Amino acid sequence: MTTVIGVDVGGTFTDLVLHDAATGEIRIAKRPTTPAAPELGVLAAVDAAVPGELLARCRHFVHGTTVGLNALLERADARTVGLVTTAGFRDVLEIRRGDRDDPYDLFWTPPPPLVPRRLRVEAGERVAADGSVVRPLDPDSVRRAAEHFAAEGVDTVAVVLINSYANPEHELRTAELLREAGFTGPISLSHEVSGEYREYERTCTTVVDAFVRHRMGPYLRNLARELRDRGFTGELLVTRSGGGALTLAEAVARPFETILSGPVAGAAATARLAETLGLPAVVAADVGGTSFDTALIEEARLPLLFQGEVLGLPLQSPWVDVRSVGAGGGSIAYADFGGLLRVGPRSAGADPGPACYPGGGTEPTVTDAALHLGMIPAGRIAGGLDLSPGRAADALAPLAGPTGLAGTDAVAEGVIRIATAHMAQAVRGVTVERGVDPRGTAIVAFGGAGPLFGCLLADELDVDTVVIPPNAGNFSAVGLVQADIVRSAARTLVRPLDAEAPPVIDRMAGALFERLAQDGAVREVHLDLRHRGQEHTLTIPLRPGDDLTAIGARFSEAYHRAFGHRLPDPLEVVTVRATSRVVLDRSRPLVPAPPSAEATAETTHLWSFRERARVEAPVVPRAACTEPVEGPALVIEPTATTYLDAGFTAEAHPSGCLVIKRKDRR
Amino acid sequence: MTIVRTRFAEAHPGLADDADPVTTEIIRQALNAAAEQMKQSLIRTAFSPIIYEALDFAVAFYDADMCMLAQAPTLPAFMGTLGFCVREAVEGVGGPGALSPGDVILYNDPYGTGSHPQDAAMIVPVFHRPETGDDLLVGYATIKAHWLDIGGKDPYCTDTVDVHQEGTIFPGVKLYDAGRLVSDIYRMIVANSRMPEMVIGDINAMVAGARTGGEALAAVVRRYGPDVFRRSVARMYAHGEALVRGWFERLPDGVYRADSVIDSDGVNGAPIPFGVEVTVAGSSVTVDLTGCPDQAGGPINCPLPSTVAAARIAVAFLAGAGEQPNEGHFRPLELVTRLGSLFHPVRPAPCFMYGVPSDHAIELIIRALAEAVPDVVPAASGGDINALVWWGNREATGEPWADGAPHPVGQGASRSADGASALMYISESATRFTPSEVWEARNPWRIERLALAEDSGGPGRHRGGLGLDLSFRVLEDQYLTAGLARTALEPWGLDGGLAGRPNRLTVEYPDGRTEDFSLKTRIFLPTGSVVHLRTGSGGGYGPPSERDPEAVRADVREGYISPEQARRHYPHAF
Repeated sequence: MTTVIGVDVGGTFTDLVLHDAATGEIRIAKRPTTPAAPELGVLAAVDAAVPGELLARCRHFVHGTTVGLNALLERADARTVGLVTTAGFRDVLEIRRGDRDDPYDLFWTPPPPLVPRRLRVEAGERVAADGSVVRPLDPDSVRRAAEHFAAEGVDTVAVVLINSYANPEHELRTAELLREAGFTGPISLSHEVSGEYREYERTCTTVVDAFVRHRMGPYLRNLARELRDRGFTGELLVTRSGGGALTLAEAVARPFETILSGPVAGAAATARLAETLGLPAVVAADVGGTSFDTALIEEARLPLLFQGEVLGLPLQSPWVDVRSVGAGGGSIAYADFGGLLRVGPRSAGADPGPACYPGGGTEPTVTDAALHLGMIPAGRIAGGLDLSPGRAADALAPLAGPTGLAGTDAVAEGVIRIATAHMAQAVRGVTVERGVDPRGTAIVAFGGAGPLFGCLLADELDVDTVVIPPNAGNFSAVGLVQADIVRSAARTLVRPLDAEAPPVIDRMAGALFERLAQDGAVREVHLDLRHRGQEHTLTIPLRPGDDLTAIGARFSEAYHRAFGHRLPDPLEVVTVRATSRVVLDRSRPLVPAPPSAEATAETTHLWSFRERARVEAPVVPRAACTEPVEGPALVIEPTATTYLDAGFTAEAHPSGCLVIKRKDRR
Repeated sequence: MTIVRTRFAEAHPGLADDADPVTTEIIRQALNAAAEQMKQSLIRTAFSPIIYEALDFAVAFYDADMCMLAQAPTLPAFMGTLGFCVREAVEGVGGPGALSPGDVILYNDPYGTGSHPQDAAMIVPVFHRPETGDDLLVGYATIKAHWLDIGGKDPYCTDTVDVHQEGTIFPGVKLYDAGRLVSDIYRMIVANSRMPEMVIGDINAMVAGARTGGEALAAVVRRYGPDVFRRSVARMYAHGEALVRGWFERLPDGVYRADSVIDSDGVNGAPIPFGVEVTVAGSSVTVDLTGCPDQAGGPINCPLPSTVAAARIAVAFLAGAGEQPNEGHFRPLELVTRLGSLFHPVRPAPCFMYGVPSDHAIELIIRALAEAVPDVVPAASGGDINALVWWGNREATGEPWADGAPHPVGQGASRSADGASALMYISESATRFTPSEVWEARNPWRIERLALAEDSGGPGRHRGGLGLDLSFRVLEDQYLTAGLARTALEPWGLDGGLAGRPNRLTVEYPDGRTEDFSLKTRIFLPTGSVVHLRTGSGGGYGPPSERDPEAVRADVREGYISPEQARRHYPHAF
């Protein structure tokens, strides 16, 4: 067993989790995120929780960071990235696909392109879809580009040539020519970044890579140095949007793969929990301050997509399918012009925060509704904030008039029900689209407000089991210390899945694995397949010894599950995907054993959604849950409160989880 | 002369009164989410690029009264037209009493769909099964999608003289009867398509999607019970109606008018002037299209359902507050048409290119309100979807192939901003066009140019968005049908802004000869021809002399306009 630290930089807080192999101890720390220089927040958390001798014993430091995302958000470095395209295709990045994010908005305008038009330069060249060269690369056009970039102060270049996925020669030669012309900055080549077709999507991915590279390399190297100065001798790993973690060198080389790792940690922790508890299908339900993040975990595996999206930009990169909707503790409730009660997606965030917070806002939020209904005991939330039920009620009351609801209780109940419905819709999305009936899953509820909604989601989705992990408020960070080291690559190869296909696939996978070589790695190959004539694909694992019949049968099964029918049409391979995974220590215990605590005689009056009335209910410290607790009740712990409605029973599980069972269906 | 007033009033007054607003909001969300589920299922299983790339389809739920519960954000052009489909299709098979669980109705009569026979609708009746008693019909899940070919004189026609030349018509027939495929109908579809494999693939996708949707709708009804569902839906409609009425109430009452000219009817070359009158009175709005010419000899007649859709799109864009619309949003709207005219033709007038007048009417209705609400009315866009449809047989294998797509145009500038460049026309605002690399992997083409057209945006205080320049080199002999409108009419500017450029299609033959086309069927393209599409740009807003000099210089720096054009229109910036 090894000692591992995980540090996740979120929008508001930087969370640290450390598992000490020698003592089995788990340490947790939380520090405010320092957006201007995120390493300061990271180091502050380390300094607060990890003495030098312990840091020196750490084998891995797993880091989840939003540095790349922030670079994109700010676009501060836009003028420094240049783009080389095929002649005639200078505007691909700006033309996009012609669609609107909001189809009913007459004035919708896309955000300005990441690379302005004057820094997009055409190279004289053309490769056909089959990889043949139609027009050889004109070296002078690249030299002129290099001169232009030098004059404009460009220090990072992205090269995206049409059909380079089929033949990368011209991109490679363009990079050489840029170097010969004296360009010394980082160069992102599209075939190395993505290898998949669709020029707009590949251009976006490559430009994002170039953009983030600029910021990420210096940041990570600086952090590594600071950690070494503090005595850390292990390896720095960075979490991926597609699950697992990259080595420092790989993260510097492929920074776009780290762009959205935040929500992934929670899904990864849920997957590990599902494995520990032996649950075949679970739904991760992470309720934070501004959003609800959910993912379906089957057989303890993360659900992967191979195209993601960040800030409206498509990215051809592995992506854990975590859906996010704007429904969290800070989501604001309002009455719209038509007299309906609405919740979110606007959020009061950390500033001003819910109305019940000291110095909070005036608009009512989900947290205010929960407080008003007694789902959260006043003055008991993490950070020692004193919550004001009076201010919550004052904020909620004005919504009764315009919506025609009978008083503040009805408004508060409505806010919680609507927020729950938003979350349930997102859960239906991630389950039904994968052909899974949510009723057969268990819900793992975590995040600061997740345990409030576990029972409500169970009733809304007709689910019988809810699991509240230990340290539910910090559960995401636990996912960090359980990451594997993962590298992946993909290449588009549109061809029939016929007798000649397997050797071609093997060769291509072999070539991809050459790029991914790492010691002790497990290799996984996936194929994107479709019926000939379709465009959209399903990704199917390739197992050793598979023949065409086995592959076809696996595809047919997956297709039937997703879409409810089978087709006789022949199959086509579209993309070969290679993943190389080094499994780190899996024997790590999930959580610390809970300290024992005394039960108290405290009770509260809380709203029962099933009874549609306020009822008297006990308040039980989580550590005192040695016997099953019958709802209605509140189970409290330092980072979260579990709301247990009538008809539910909670019981402590040896793993440290609280397992809630629904006794009777509603 | 027969004048027709089309208006959809509240079906059950009073039903909404005691509906719980919270349950209403939850049901509204659930219906929109279920429509989205149906949409995703169709996209991911369809065989035709017109469906999975161009998203040329609509999915919607209707209640038992055939009022629209929800429509997923797809093609606004089909907004609300599915209601006519459902009505006609159900009537065709013998009315609601003749429906049973497991039925799938096929319907593609242009006079009920509003469009051409290629736009085929599948309607799945949705039943609630109570614990005791009979199944209760609670609504319909519907998908209308563009099939690549269902007969007709050509796969895509711009020169038909009656509707019977345009495709095989299925006037409401059961494709599935109580869950069993009706093979007679199925075989008729196969026998009447030039691309039967693709069409069959798409039919499977549509049936699967509509059934998925049907189950999702049944689940919502089951969860709340049919009575609560009906009351909440009534309240949901009242909510949509209140949103739109609130918007029109803020407008000064009056009669607003705009006029324009359609290029031609595709058969006779003459331009066709038409106008629209919009009357705002209190919270109601009337769109009057009786001032348009008689129905045309060529296929640019717009059957009533698509005329209704055009008016509804205009209303949804202006007054819908960005919400997904339902039946209630459209209650404040009354449409006035004249039987036998361009916007209310009678059978068998040809209507394959119904989108030409309906798309034009949308922008004209919006323009008519420029005087009343200048803040929310932009100058003209390129104004068309610039549809191109291609087909042939592959040289190596002889296999038939076909593809088709709309193409983006520049958007009009507004009082507050420059127009966006290269977006799909608003009637197809959720539509995407296909990446060149996908096109080249699939079709015998090489894309030689995909670029923003410098200098194309209409000058003004705010500049119109740029059009697109797209050049296809054809690598094998093939055919093309061009469906371009607004090739003569320049996109208008507003408030002193200047016009943009109109749409234009030029074929450059291997011998160097060139020819322009707008509505033209079956253009033969020998190997080596190059097709140049130059889509329209947006008009400008406000006098060019008032443009911020720094904005002019930035445009020159980025190459959106040339130094020459800058000096001509904006001398004050230098």
